[in-house]
Amino acid sequence: MISGIASSRWHLTAIVFAITAVLLSPFYWVLMGSFNTPAELFGTHLTLWPKRLAVENWSNALVRLWPHVNNSLIVSTIVSSCTLALTVPAAYALVWLRPRGGKLLFNFLLVTQMLPAIVFVIPLFVVFSQINLVNSLFGLALGDMTFSVPFALIMLCAYVKDLPYELVEAALVDGATQFRSFIAIVIPLMLPGIITVGIFAFLIPWADLIYALSLVTDETLQPLTLQLYKALGQYGIDWSFLLPGSVLTSIPAVIFVIAASRFILSGVTRGAIK
Amino acid sequence: MSRSELSNAVSFSQEHQPRKERFHFSPYAFVLPCALFSAALLLYPVVNSLALSFRQATVDTFVSGEMPFNGLTQYQAAVADPVFWRAVINTVLFTAFSIVFQFVIGFLLALLFQFKFPLKSVCLSLLLIPWLLPLLTSANIFKGLFNEAGLINQLLHLIGGRPIPWLADQHFALPATIVANIWIGFPFNFVLLYAGMQNIPEEVYEAAKLDGADYWRRVTQITVPLLKPVALSVLMLGTVYTVKVFDLVWIMTGGGPANSTHLLSTYAYQVGFSILNFGEAAAIATLMVLLLLVLNLFRLLMQQR
Repeated sequence: MISGIASSRWHLTAIVFAITAVLLSPFYWVLMGSFNTPAELFGTHLTLWPKRLAVENWSNALVRLWPHVNNSLIVSTIVSSCTLALTVPAAYALVWLRPRGGKLLFNFLLVTQMLPAIVFVIPLFVVFSQINLVNSLFGLALGDMTFSVPFALIMLCAYVKDLPYELVEAALVDGATQFRSFIAIVIPLMLPGIITVGIFAFLIPWADLIYALSLVTDETLQPLTLQLYKALGQYGIDWSFLLPGSVLTSIPAVIFVIAASRFILSGVTRGAIK
Repeated sequence: MSRSELSNAVSFSQEHQPRKERFHFSPYAFVLPCALFSAALLLYPVVNSLALSFRQATVDTFVSGEMPFNGLTQYQAAVADPVFWRAVINTVLFTAFSIVFQFVIGFLLALLFQFKFPLKSVCLSLLLIPWLLPLLTSANIFKGLFNEAGLINQLLHLIGGRPIPWLADQHFALPATIVANIWIGFPFNFVLLYAGMQNIPEEVYEAAKLDGADYWRRVTQITVPLLKPVALSVLMLGTVYTVKVFDLVWIMTGGGPANSTHLLSTYAYQVGFSILNFGEAAAIATLMVLLLLVLNLFRLLMQQR
């Protein structure tokens, strides 16, 4: 502590709340705006609270967006479950069983995270259009997994390192196979990490735009983000649709932040600081 | 992308700790699915993108599937276009201003959060929101705020200023996207610097206090120097990820007006998917990767000091 003062200080809370309010005001604006008429929101005068709750913004947006929410849910579920199926066993083996080339794989995935998305998008578009994976929710999920798999593997490896390997060793000594001890011991131990990474792997395709933009042209297959992006610009912007849609898109992430902020914080800071 | 920032932050400066054991079961079976996926959907595209950059891959050749080799033609075409250089300059400006402001805001917040006060953890979680929000949401928020009749101009009007057509003006559009990106990125800087400060042992501060050092002296003489390794990795990671930014600018301006806000990422995408010149887009992508490689080498040099 720089201050060295440990007593509770509510006046500091007031200051920090004020700063937090200013910093979060753009998010407040979209929440408030989603219940506002564009005429009022973009009038000459500042609007801090809607005069009348324009609930019809939301009902109209929900009706129009519902099929696309469905597409997003399908893609996100595929990506989340496939990502976990690929990375949970791999993370366990990379950290504790240390196969040859494991470090190479890990480092390669680390590097892919730093590459611009366009490096993957163009070749995958070229290949997917040759093998009919364009305009397919499964193809979109495969594309999104190029973001989620490296991310999940790196997070899970950091998580596996902190687990007590002695429990697995004890099971192995008792005659359990690697596969059995993985199912019975490793997975239950990793469960909090698996859930958190699984949620991240769900949110990545949920928020993705670049793959949806490149791989999906069929209107009925468009995920939520793409449908909202397409609403921009054709003949001016329909804010009464765009703002509730934007809030709707953010709901899973906001719930996640509120529910799991402690784990997110420890995940972020674990490696960078040590 | 914020999520890749997170996982790289995790792995950053972390090394595998080897454990040597004897096994009955081949560990390769556990890794194989992931390795196959990585080969097919990560390694293959990287190699293919590089190969594509030396081929003529436009609409016609793409449909016929020929895509003849034509050496450095794509690179020459890319470099000859003034919009490319505009995108290079914009990428540098976008990254530099984003990083500086994100870092300063994050640093000041982290200092403030070193004090103990009630409801601190609530504020901390709330401040994560801008960072984890889908980029589409953030981009639309700032598209609205910087609208000609949006909140920023309403505030300008209150203090007697004239409205500015932010996103429709060649001079103001890029700064507007930078402001949006600062908002998205400050929490990343904040939480990492906050944790870095928490790791500085309290005794150091106590000793300094006994020697009569006041608050600002403790900040400048203890916090700043001891935070340097963390600060460097935050800055370098932030830089690498800011160079990659695509969604935000693509949604807010699409690179316009008059190509004034193109970053290398959005420019490459436009060349690829609007003009349908995949070869040249791949060449621009390769040049971007080179830029990122240089930045990474720079980071390694800084770390070795």
